[in-house]
Amino acid sequence: MPYFDYKTWIPRIVIAVLITFFVILPILTTSVITLSIFISSGIWAIAVMGFTLILRTGQFSMGQAAFMALGAYTAAILTVNLGIPFWPSFLIAGIVSGIIAMLIGLVVLRVGGIYFSIITLAFGEIVRIFAQEMEGLTRGVRGIIPPQPPTIPLPGFEINFAASPVPYYYFMLLLAGVTSLVFWQIGRSRLGSTFASLALNPVLAEHQGIHLMKYRVIAFTIAGVFTGFAGAYYANFLSIITPLMFGLWQSIQIMMMSIVGGVSSMVGGAFIGATVLYTLDIYLSRLPIYNIQYLLFGAAVVLVLLFLPKGTGLVDLWGKLWRKIFREPEEYEMPEESEMAVE
Amino acid sequence: MPPAAILIDGLVQSCIFMTMAFGMVLVFSILGILNWAHGQFYMLGAFVVYYAITAAGIPFPLSILISGMVVGGLGMLVEKYIIERLNIPGYGMLYVTVATLALIFFFEGAAGMAFGLMDKGLATVLPGVLDLGSFSVSYQKIAVIIFTIVILAAMYIVLNRTKIGLAIRAAAQEPVAASLYGISVKRVSLIVMGIGCALAAMAGGVMAPVYTVSPFMGRIPMIFSMLAIIIGGLGSLTGAIVGGIILGFLNSVIAYYVSYLSEFVLFLLVIVILLVRPQGLFGASIK
Repeated sequence: MPYFDYKTWIPRIVIAVLITFFVILPILTTSVITLSIFISSGIWAIAVMGFTLILRTGQFSMGQAAFMALGAYTAAILTVNLGIPFWPSFLIAGIVSGIIAMLIGLVVLRVGGIYFSIITLAFGEIVRIFAQEMEGLTRGVRGIIPPQPPTIPLPGFEINFAASPVPYYYFMLLLAGVTSLVFWQIGRSRLGSTFASLALNPVLAEHQGIHLMKYRVIAFTIAGVFTGFAGAYYANFLSIITPLMFGLWQSIQIMMMSIVGGVSSMVGGAFIGATVLYTLDIYLSRLPIYNIQYLLFGAAVVLVLLFLPKGTGLVDLWGKLWRKIFREPEEYEMPEESEMAVE
Repeated sequence: MPPAAILIDGLVQSCIFMTMAFGMVLVFSILGILNWAHGQFYMLGAFVVYYAITAAGIPFPLSILISGMVVGGLGMLVEKYIIERLNIPGYGMLYVTVATLALIFFFEGAAGMAFGLMDKGLATVLPGVLDLGSFSVSYQKIAVIIFTIVILAAMYIVLNRTKIGLAIRAAAQEPVAASLYGISVKRVSLIVMGIGCALAAMAGGVMAPVYTVSPFMGRIPMIFSMLAIIIGGLGSLTGAIVGGIILGFLNSVIAYYVSYLSEFVLFLLVIVILLVRPQGLFGASIK
């Protein structure tokens, strides 16, 4: 090898090390709590990626948790009430959530900016109230207990979801990996540039012949599908669905994870934001003083926003470190996202 | 026709939503951001009034003024140290939204730690009811209505008859031109944020005897006043008042007929209004 190009190899090595670490994590630790934290963070990261994708088109959805609820309830109702096996109903959950997202998007995305945020907020609350009041279908606040995925027999051993969280962990890795690949490719592709152009200057983009509504609806639908998967899987992992699990505060949480993690990277920011904030939340709630976790959580988010350079999140610290090590000049390749100016 | 008590209740609720929405719109028209933690200033105001009355024995009207001053000052601090530093062109809306949403958790956690999670009653203030034949109204609710009329009248006078009101209106219309004429838009932002938070705090304070005081009491008024300014038209003070009245009355009247589904109907109504008229009822047309 005549020339070792560290600029391309070091990021790849770092990513490979990270992936290896996550793949062998169940061997390193057998703690159920650690695994649970990672599983939940991964699932939230999937939802956060959906939010970031919508944000890339310049819209600010405040009802993402509603799509998690839609996915979760679809999967649970299909398995419990209709007796459809787990895996088909899991797939149907994502598809149903995506279709609803598309229908909502077709109607709602005509109005942009803050109005879109408020409508999605109202939609999220409507889904929650609906789940709370439709006792016959959703069992109201008592919640549904979704059955666990069936045991998968393999030659030599069997994957038993009931025995330990390890199968859940690996399936989460699979789901998150597929989602990351999809979103990463979207970010690199022509579609991703189109989304960025919508955020940067919608009027100019429209005059260039880009159909605004079409691409906004595409982004919203893709986000809806994966958020639905995340919701279905999360409810299944926790073995309970109640309406309050996916309310306005969870939508807000998704939003915070996305912004704190950083929106310049579609995948990395989501994982960092979700893992950091979810872990913080879990560990703060163990503090002996009651209610201090909300105070510290809020303070942490505000401090991150205040002290990071504007327009960046935690994920951009990597780029900063990189430039510091290799003394590269500052360059801002990051697309300017979300011009949320109200016309 | 629902009974008069329901209408009175609707009127009381619309008074609160109006006062809060008014402050929010004022902040929006100068700073260009929505303060999502407005409901928490409402909650803090209620706590200040509660402790001013029970611990210090200050009379009710005076303690409302005190809560307005204390929480208004807090709002100014939030503006100076958080919002102003995050409100940069291009990213402002996004960052301020997330920061103020985080402040919701911060203030609720702080209030829960300092004051406890128990619901606190303040029913001993202004006891008694006004008997109006077929129905009666408690003095506490009358106090809310009178307070709202006084505060809106005062705001009208401040905005239209004083120098600072002129500065606020100028800065809302044309910030650049206003600063050319010697108006410090920064200072106007600070004052407006103080006024907005003080309005929310005083609304919470006057509402404290009617309902109970708890760290989570700010969430519902926050969401409803947010919806009120959106359907009224963002940036329009008339819209804030009309939106507050619509939501307050509908909330109690619909609840009378369909009980738990009232929020469902309200949110649906908001969506329909926004789809038919995206700029809100009183907002200027976007195009």
